Amino acid sequence: MLRSLSQFGALILSTSLLAAEHWSFQPLKPGREQSIDAYIQKERAKHGLKPSPRADAHTLIRRATFDLTGLPPPDVPTRRDLSDEGYSRLVEQLLASPHYGEHWARHWLDVARYSDTKGYVYAREEKNWVHASAYRDWVVRALNDDMPYDRFLLLQIAADQLVPPRSPDLAAMGFLTLGRRFLGVTHDIIDDRIDVVTRGTLGLSVACARCHDHKFDPIPTRDYYALYGVFQSCAEALVPCDESAEDAELAALEKKNRDLMAKRRAEQMARTRARVADYLQATHELEKYPEETFGQLLDEKDLNPFIVHRFVAWLGKHPGVELTEERLKQPDSPAFVPDEHIANIEMYFPIGVTTELWKSQGDVDRHLIKSAAAPARATILVDRAQASAPRVFIRGNPLNKGDVVPRQFLSLFGHQRPFAKGSGRLELAQAIADPRNPLTARVMVNRIWQHHFGRGLVSTPSDFGKQGSEPTHPELLDWLAAEFIRSGWSIKHMHRLIMLSETYQQSSLASDPRDPDNKFLARMNLHRLSFEEARDAWLAAAGRLNLRIGGRPDTLFAASNTRRTLYALVDRENLPAVMRTFDFANPDLSIPQRTETTVPQQALFGMNHPFVVQQAKILLSRADVKPADAITRIRRIYAYLFQREPNADEMDFALRFVQEDQPPVIAAANHARSWQYGYGEWDESTGRVKNFKPLPYFTGNAWQGDEAWPNQKLGWAQLTATGGHPGNDRQHAVVRRWVAPADGSYAVKSTLLHEPAPGDGIRSFISHSQQGRLHAGKLHQGRAELNFDTLSFKAGDTLDFIVDIGDVLNSDQFLWSTRISSTATVGAGGDEHPDTWDTEKDFYAQPKSQLDAWEQLVQVLMLSNEFMFVD
Amino acid sequence: MQPPLTRRDFLSRSGMGMAALGLADLQAAKPHYTPKAKRVIHFFLNGGPSHVDTFDPKPALARYAGKPVPNHRITERKTGAAFPSPFKFQRYGQSGIEVSELFARTAAHIDDIAVIRSMQAQVPNHEPSLMLMNCGDSIQARPSMGAWLMYGLGSANENLPGFIAMCPGGMPIKSAENWQSAFLPGAFQGTYVDSQHQAVDRLIENIRSPHADARVQLRQLELMRRINNAHRASRADPRLEARIQSFELAFRMQTEAADAFDVSKEPEHIRKLYGEGVHARQTLIARRLLERGVRMVQLWHGAGQPWDNHDNIESNHRKLAAQIDQPIAALLADLKQRGMLEDTLVIWGGEFGRTPTVELSGGKSKLGRDHNHYGFTVWMAGGGIKGGTVHGSTDEFGFAAQEHPTSVHDLHATILHLMGINHEELTYRYAGRDFRLTDVYGDVITPIVA
Repeated sequence: MLRSLSQFGALILSTSLLAAEHWSFQPLKPGREQSIDAYIQKERAKHGLKPSPRADAHTLIRRATFDLTGLPPPDVPTRRDLSDEGYSRLVEQLLASPHYGEHWARHWLDVARYSDTKGYVYAREEKNWVHASAYRDWVVRALNDDMPYDRFLLLQIAADQLVPPRSPDLAAMGFLTLGRRFLGVTHDIIDDRIDVVTRGTLGLSVACARCHDHKFDPIPTRDYYALYGVFQSCAEALVPCDESAEDAELAALEKKNRDLMAKRRAEQMARTRARVADYLQATHELEKYPEETFGQLLDEKDLNPFIVHRFVAWLGKHPGVELTEERLKQPDSPAFVPDEHIANIEMYFPIGVTTELWKSQGDVDRHLIKSAAAPARATILVDRAQASAPRVFIRGNPLNKGDVVPRQFLSLFGHQRPFAKGSGRLELAQAIADPRNPLTARVMVNRIWQHHFGRGLVSTPSDFGKQGSEPTHPELLDWLAAEFIRSGWSIKHMHRLIMLSETYQQSSLASDPRDPDNKFLARMNLHRLSFEEARDAWLAAAGRLNLRIGGRPDTLFAASNTRRTLYALVDRENLPAVMRTFDFANPDLSIPQRTETTVPQQALFGMNHPFVVQQAKILLSRADVKPADAITRIRRIYAYLFQREPNADEMDFALRFVQEDQPPVIAAANHARSWQYGYGEWDESTGRVKNFKPLPYFTGNAWQGDEAWPNQKLGWAQLTATGGHPGNDRQHAVVRRWVAPADGSYAVKSTLLHEPAPGDGIRSFISHSQQGRLHAGKLHQGRAELNFDTLSFKAGDTLDFIVDIGDVLNSDQFLWSTRISSTATVGAGGDEHPDTWDTEKDFYAQPKSQLDAWEQLVQVLMLSNEFMFVD
Repeated sequence: MQPPLTRRDFLSRSGMGMAALGLADLQAAKPHYTPKAKRVIHFFLNGGPSHVDTFDPKPALARYAGKPVPNHRITERKTGAAFPSPFKFQRYGQSGIEVSELFARTAAHIDDIAVIRSMQAQVPNHEPSLMLMNCGDSIQARPSMGAWLMYGLGSANENLPGFIAMCPGGMPIKSAENWQSAFLPGAFQGTYVDSQHQAVDRLIENIRSPHADARVQLRQLELMRRINNAHRASRADPRLEARIQSFELAFRMQTEAADAFDVSKEPEHIRKLYGEGVHARQTLIARRLLERGVRMVQLWHGAGQPWDNHDNIESNHRKLAAQIDQPIAALLADLKQRGMLEDTLVIWGGEFGRTPTVELSGGKSKLGRDHNHYGFTVWMAGGGIKGGTVHGSTDEFGFAAQEHPTSVHDLHATILHLMGINHEELTYRYAGRDFRLTDVYGDVITPIVA
C-alpha cells in the first residue's frame, strides 16, 4: 500500500516559502542510497570503523522480542542458528502480536504525558480521569492495526470532526484532554495542549513563545497565541465512544446532572442580568476584580470577577451598544453561561454552585470508572459556535493584552492563511499531518529509531529546533522520513526496515575506542530493561504474567495485579516512588526520552521489596522446576530467566551455592514472632476471647480479612502497626496477642486512643491467659493509659489486647500502642537491657522467614545484569 | 580531535546515555564559588503562619481594633476589621528584634537570624503558593529547590538519599509535587519520610529486608558479583559496572540509614534539649541526617495544612508553635555547639502569611485570619546569613510588603548563592530551553548575606 508523494492533495504548506534556514525546517533531502546499511556504512567508513558481526540466534531472538513486545521470548533455550528467513519470519510474528501495540503504546504515552488521574484537584472534583484507559487502549489498537501515522495524529487532534458520533476513534482525543487540570485555569490547560501537540508531533517547543518570541527558533509570540486561539475556541465534552447498550443507571445520573446544570445556568444568567448596572460599574474598578488565577471564594451576592472581565471584553467589541435585556440573553452576551461540561464553565458560578455541579458530575464520573457495565467514554474537544479572536498576552500575562492575532499555523512554515473552519483545530491537524511538513515524519522516524537503538539519529527527540542536536546521519534521517511517507506512514514498515538491516542485527559485544559513544553504530547498543519490561519479565519468569489486553488500571503492587505494567495506575500526583526511582516518565510533562539512572534505591527495591522474592518463590514452585533434581532445576531456571542453558561454570557454582552450608539464622530475640494478629469474640463470663482465629490477609501494612478493606469475609476488622479497627459486630473483635517467650515478670505500658466524634466509640479489654480480664472499658473520643507494673507469665502464656465495637458500627478506628518489657526474666543480670516489645517496631521487624538457598539463588539471577540488559 | 566532554555535555549529547549514570554523573558541576552553606534545613509551616503574630509586630492593629484598615486588600475569602495580635511581642538579643511569645525560645537565637518581613507570593491560594515556594513556579511542573540542589551539588553521602522531606502523619497538600524532580532525573526528587513512625523500615522504603538477614544478603551479593563479572567480561558497557556497584551501595545504605534515623542513639541531654513529641524527633533526625551529609531536609509541620488557621488563631497558632518552638531553638543551639551552624542554612516559613484583618463567615468574625500573599515573613539563620538583621517591611498593618518587596525568586537566588551557586548559571536543558529555579527572575538579597 505505497502511495507516492504527488497523490496528496490539500497542501497547506508552501514549501518554497519555508522561513528559516535551519536544517529541520527544510524539505526532506534523502540521499541516493537505498538502504539503512548503506548510509550507516558510509559514515562508519569515514571514521575507519568496521561493522560487528551478526549477533547469535539467542541474542537476536531476545533482542527482537523485547524490542517489539517489551516481553521476554518464550522460555525454551534457542537453537544455534537463525537463517535470514527465519529471522524475518520472527519479526513478522512479533509485529503481528497484540503485545506489540502495548509496548509501543507506552513509548507514545510518555510523549502524551499519560496519566490516569488529573493531578491535584479540589475535593469537589473526581480525581481520576474517566477516559484515560480508553485513550491508552486506543493507542494500543491503533499501533497494532498499523494505523497510518498521519491518521493517528489527525484523530488525536481532531477526531470529533473526522468520525461519526460514538466512534471508538473519539477516544484518540485523550491526547489533548488528559493533561493536568491546573486547578481549572484555562491559560495553563491550553499551554499544556500547545506543548504536547507541538513538541510531540513537530519537535518544536512553541510553548517557549508564551511570554516572549522564541530565543532561538523562528517562533514569535504571535504564533503561540494563534494556536492559543484554536484551543480557546474549543470546549471539553464527555461523549460515548462505543456502541454498547445503554446503561440505565448511567442515563439516570446523566439526566440528573444535565437537569441540575440547566437549572443552575438559568439561575446564574438571571443573577447576572439582574445586576447589569453593578457589573457595568465594576468594569471601571477592575483592580477589585482579579483575573482567574487568583482563586477567590465567592457567594451568590458577590459580583463574579470572571463575568466582570467578560463585560469588559464585550464592551470593547461593541462600543456604544446598549446592553438590553434581550441582548443579555444572546449567547455572545457577558451574562450568558454556555451549555458545556462543568470543566469549561466552573468560573461562572459562586463557589457553592461550582462545588455542587462538580459533585453531580462526579457521580457520573465515578459510575463510569467503577461500573464494569458502563460504556466507554471519551473526553473530546468540540469547536465552540463562536471562535474567539486571540490576543497576545504581553509577557504571558493575561491582564496585559496586546494585538489580536488570527488563528493559524506556525509562520516558520511560510506565509499562513488564517484558519477558516470553526476553531481551526482540524486545519491545524492537517497542517501537521501534511506530507510536505518537513518535521512530522522526521520527528516520528527518529522516535522509532531511538527506541530500537537506544539513541535517535537526532539525540534531542522533541527538539528539532536550532538548540537541538544535529542528526548524526542527516541523509539517512531524510531517507527514512521519505520512506515513511511513501509507505503510507506505516510504522510497522519502519520496524521492518530497521530490524532487517544488518546494522540492527550486529552483535553488541565489541567496542571500538575510537567511538566509545557508538555514534556510528559499529555495534549494537545494550538495552537496559525499563521498569515496565523488568516487572513484566519477572512475572513472566514466574509464569504468572496475565496478558489480558486493555481495561481499567490496577494498583501497581496489589497482590492480585499480575497484569502488564502498562496497566498499572499512573497517578500523576502520587506516582509510586519505585516508578520514579526506575526513571518512569514524568506524567506531567511530555517526555520523549527517559533518563536512565543507576541508583542504590533501585537495588534496594530488588533486594528488599517482597515483589521480586515472591516471583522467585513462584518460579521455584513451577511444575517442571519443583520436583526436578538439582541439575534439571538449574537448567529450567536458566531457561525461564535467560532462555538458554547454563554453561559448565554456571552450573557448578549454582550447585555449590545451593548445597553449601547455610549460615544459621541469627538467634537474636525475634520480637516480631511474639505477636499474633487475630479476631474473636469477647466472652464476658470468662473474661477471655473465644474463637481466636488469625486475620488471614497481610497487605504489607495491615492484617485483615482479605485484599480489599472492608471485605466480604471479615468486614472492617483490621490491625495495623499502630492500631486498627474492630470487625462489624461483637463476634468480630480484633485481638492483638502477645505470647510470653520465657517465664518471668513483665511491665506493660500502653496508650489507647479513640479520636472520631461520630458514633459511640469502642470497647476495649486486656486479658491474660492465666488471670483472665485485666481491663475492660469503653472509649469515645478519648485516651486511656493502660499500664501494669508487673505481670507474671509462664512461657507461652498470652496477653490479649481486644477491641470491639460500641453499640453501633460507626467510626470505630483506634490507635493502641503498647510496650512490654521484661522486669525480671529468670537469669537476667542487673545491668542488662531489659527486653522490650513494641507494637509498632515489632510489626515490621526482622525477617519473618529467611529465604532458602534456592530462593536466594533465583533472586540473584533475577537481579543479575544478564536479566536486566538485552545484548 | 574533539575536546573531552564534560559530564554534562555528555548527558545532553548522549541522551539516554550509553554510560553509567550514577548520581554523581548526573550532577551539573561543582559549586560556582566557595559555598557558605553546605546543607539546608527548611521548616515548612504549611498552611501559612501569621507574620503579624510571630515575627512582624503591628501595634497599629490594636489602635484600629474592630475598625477597617485603610489599605484593605482582596484575598481568597472575605475579611473585615483590623484584628490585633493576641500574642505579646518582646525585644530579644543584641539586635533587639521583636518576636512574639509564640517563638520565645527560638527568639533567644535572634542574633543568628535574618528576618525577611517583605516576602510576596503571587496569589492567595495554597496550591500555587506551595508550588512557588518549593519549585519556583506557581503552575507548571518544575523541579523543587531540593532537586535543583541535588542536581547542582549532589549528596555528600552516597549511602543516604540526598534530599529528604519529612512530614508526620501523611502528606501536605500537593503531596509529592512539593519535592518533585519534574524534568530532572527521578533520582533527584525528595525522599518522603512519614516521621510519625519510629521503625526504620516504615521510614524509608525497602530499607530493610523482610526475608534475608545481613549474612544471607552478603552471600547473595557475593554470588551476584561473580555472575555479573562473568557477564561483564565479554562486554564493554560501563553501565554494567555501575549497576554492580549500586548493589553494594544499597547494602551499606541499609545500615547507615537505620543508624541515621535512630534517635535513641543520642545521649539523654540532647534528646531532652529537643523535647518530646514527633516534631522534636523529626528535628533531631534531621540533624543526624545533615551531619551525615544529606544536602537538604525539609520538615513539614503535618498532613494537610495545619497552619491554615482561618478561625480561632489564638488557640490554634499557640498549639502549633508550642510543637516546634523548642525543637527549632534546640536545633539552632545544637548546630552551634557542634560548629555546624556556620555552614548549615536554616529556613523558616510557610507558603504565605495571613491577613491582619479578621476572617468573616456570614459577616461574623471567625477569630482567624485569611491567606495573605501580599506580604509575609520568612527567616533564615546559619550558613552565610547576617544574624540579627531585619530585611524589608510590610505596611503599618502588615497587609502588604512595603520596603524592599522580596519575591520567592529572590529568596531562591539567595539560598542558591549561599550554597555556592549562581542561580543564573544552574540550568538544565529541557523542551528546547535552559531552565532555572528562578526562571528569568531573582536577585540575591545581599543585605542579609554575611
